[in-house]
Amino acid sequence: MTFFAVDGLTMRFGGLTALDNVSFEVDRGMIFSIIGPNGSGKSTAFNCISGIYQPTAGEIHFEGERISGLAPHLIGRRGIARTFQNIELFGTESTIDNLMLGRHQHMKSGLWSGVAMLGSASSAAREEIENRERVEWILELLDLVRVRDRPVGELPYGTQKRVELARALAMEPKLLLVDEPSAGMNADERAEVGVRMRELRGELDMTILLIEHHVQLAIGLADRVLALNFGKPIACGAPEEIRQHPEVIKAYLGDG
Amino acid sequence: MLPQVLASGLSAGSIYALMALALVITYKTTEVPNFAQGDMAMVSAFIAYMFLTDFETGFILAFGAALVFAFLLGVGFEGLVLRRMRNPTHLNLIIMTLGFSLALFGLAGWKWGADQRQFPFPVSASEVVRLGGVSVSTLSVTTILIAGVLMVVVFAFFRFTKLGIAMQATQQDPIAARINGVPTRAVVGLTFGISSVIGSVAALLTAPLITLDPTLMWDALLKGFAAAVLGGLNTPVGAVLGGYLLGVIENLFGAYISVEFKSVVAFLIIVIVLWFRPSGLFGRHHERKV
Amino acid sequence: MAVFVIVGLGMNVLVGDTGQISLGHAGFLAIGAYTTVLLMTRLGMPFPFALPIAGCVSALFGFLLGLPALRLAGPYLAIATLGFGLAITQIIARSALFGGHMGLVVPDATLGPFSLSGDVSKYYLIVGVAVVLALGVRNLSVTRVGRAFRAIRDNEIAAATMGVDVAYYKTLSFAVSAALTGVAGGLLALMTGFISPGVFTFTLSLMFLAMVVFGGLGSIPGAILGSIVMGYLNLEMDAFQELPVLGRALEDFSERFMSTVGLPNFGWVVTGMLIVFTILLEPQGLYGLWIRALKAIKRSKSADANSSLPGPGAN
Repeated sequence: MTFFAVDGLTMRFGGLTALDNVSFEVDRGMIFSIIGPNGSGKSTAFNCISGIYQPTAGEIHFEGERISGLAPHLIGRRGIARTFQNIELFGTESTIDNLMLGRHQHMKSGLWSGVAMLGSASSAAREEIENRERVEWILELLDLVRVRDRPVGELPYGTQKRVELARALAMEPKLLLVDEPSAGMNADERAEVGVRMRELRGELDMTILLIEHHVQLAIGLADRVLALNFGKPIACGAPEEIRQHPEVIKAYLGDG
Repeated sequence: MLPQVLASGLSAGSIYALMALALVITYKTTEVPNFAQGDMAMVSAFIAYMFLTDFETGFILAFGAALVFAFLLGVGFEGLVLRRMRNPTHLNLIIMTLGFSLALFGLAGWKWGADQRQFPFPVSASEVVRLGGVSVSTLSVTTILIAGVLMVVVFAFFRFTKLGIAMQATQQDPIAARINGVPTRAVVGLTFGISSVIGSVAALLTAPLITLDPTLMWDALLKGFAAAVLGGLNTPVGAVLGGYLLGVIENLFGAYISVEFKSVVAFLIIVIVLWFRPSGLFGRHHERKV
Repeated sequence: MAVFVIVGLGMNVLVGDTGQISLGHAGFLAIGAYTTVLLMTRLGMPFPFALPIAGCVSALFGFLLGLPALRLAGPYLAIATLGFGLAITQIIARSALFGGHMGLVVPDATLGPFSLSGDVSKYYLIVGVAVVLALGVRNLSVTRVGRAFRAIRDNEIAAATMGVDVAYYKTLSFAVSAALTGVAGGLLALMTGFISPGVFTFTLSLMFLAMVVFGGLGSIPGAILGSIVMGYLNLEMDAFQELPVLGRALEDFSERFMSTVGLPNFGWVVTGMLIVFTILLEPQGLYGLWIRALKAIKRSKSADANSSLPGPGAN
């Protein structure tokens, strides 16, 4: 059973075809990277995978189950977490509360247990404390302990990107979708991103699906690469192959 | 019976169409759903009343004063208040216009009290005229005509005058418009002024029909919104059509089914239409890109 | 006035926490009030049973209103809720079951062995209920459900990808908000002894919105404070002329430029202006002012401590 498979994914918005018959497979523990110039459909693919868009055609399977066509929250609960290219945090909430949202599907407290939270012995209170402790290690891993209680809207861009990642990790996903983690960063920061991705895969046994505009970073990190252009797949294979692939070079540099 | 019902339906529909048009004009340009439109119009009707009774002027002066007042009120509200909002989210804009509406309502009630007053009007509400063998109230006919003419003028203005085209440009793409030399800030202010005048005309046509009091335009505002929403908040033609449709359906319902629940029809229509088309019949919904 | 506080709590859950809008909450107040009275008069149900049931009935209507709300946003949602509120009042006014325009008299109530006919006992009951509900709402807001509400407000799409069933929580928010307001309605009936459709107006719904906007959307203490201020304003509308200094001035002003009989409307002017100025100057309302005050105090304290160095995060 393939861990994660996209088969013939097509996404059309009215007259615009954003994705055209895209297929690829990801094995467990892999870092798989999707590259392509702006507008090639990379984020659209992520949006289809996480259920924000309903694909026009094609199927997506995760751990043997069909997930294409499911509502986003069901896909999240199956163990797929994502970050967004433009940061989509809960701006008025603190860092820790953003992470606690990641724990949503692992917690149970509902209307009545929430209302009846009297004292620290109640089930809702215990659940809160437990889960807060569970996410402490993520704060440490991503160097967010200092900003634990600050509203994320006030944090600098780089820190916000780390919070996005932390929030996704708090979901304890099996598959992590990372959308342009190095956007807006300089060379040093990009190197850090690379290190961090490898750490996640190595220490947390995470499977990572990565959208990366910066080709060097993508090639350096990934086990396999898919290149898109205008929504169409133009090459898929080992990083070295892709780097030298004539179509890929043409897509990035343009014709002639 | 049917022709009378249709006539009063079209007459009521004219008012709704005017309100809907006013609302859509501002919404299209500024994404502001102007909940204050009704009470802004109501106050201008009271201004006319004041001119007619306290100052004892003629109709032309009184109505002219009302329209000028409405224009200034619209421009002023946009320029002094709306433009200065720091975080103009949809929710905040709705709340802001509601607050303004409430303040206007309070001011009108304070100054003129809640008494219902007869609104002097050149055309009587009780006279009828015979058109093609049918008796129709002269007021209905006047309303339909004036509203119709006004709407044609407004549409022509947007299509054929330089200013109107500038306003359309600002609606569609404010940045591109500004780059091309359109004074977008003035245009936005003007938009509010014009739509306020349209609302004022609706109020002046409503006042002789039902008596003048601060709640004058509540019904028309709700129905106007219903009509605008029916058509989709960004299509003036849809809004106007929605207004006429709403007026006719409502009056047909009232005449043949139940006069008691006439007004509930508007609400039901909104909910049903919005359930199937969340952006109105012709509106377009823009999704946020993530 | 404690009745308004309960409504304020309800409005805060829906508008403040979940980021929805309602212009029709007077409808839920009416549903709660009429259900309570009818249960007591038609079924002889004692008040302590009628009240929670009225809350549940109101919650059901809240859920029903929440369903179309799933597909609507912004002005469309506002209109739908506005229509709901008006429809409720119109249906009540035209139906003999609800006493039509004439309204219904509220029978005497008892709470077990205690009679609730005196003003004092009513007051204690209402305040007691308000305190309990406030605690419940506060608990809810610091746990999973409250967080889900705020996530929906801040970023619905991201919330969904994190496993939050947005449809469920949105309708839940409507239901909870309606339940709170419905209970307030039952208590209102108890307090005033008489209910009629003329009470549950659109302007009342507006006032409910004003309460939480002025107090600070999303803040429970803000909602409570805002409700008290606006509630007081609303209740005192007939007695503006009796205010200490301001009263005389208002009366004179009214005589010269306005009308004295219309003076109660000054309350609406103030309410409206408070909304306008709140949105304009301090969108987070009283709560926002409070935060600013705290920050200013903190800054002046640290300025005292290191007077030569500018603080790193000081703005």
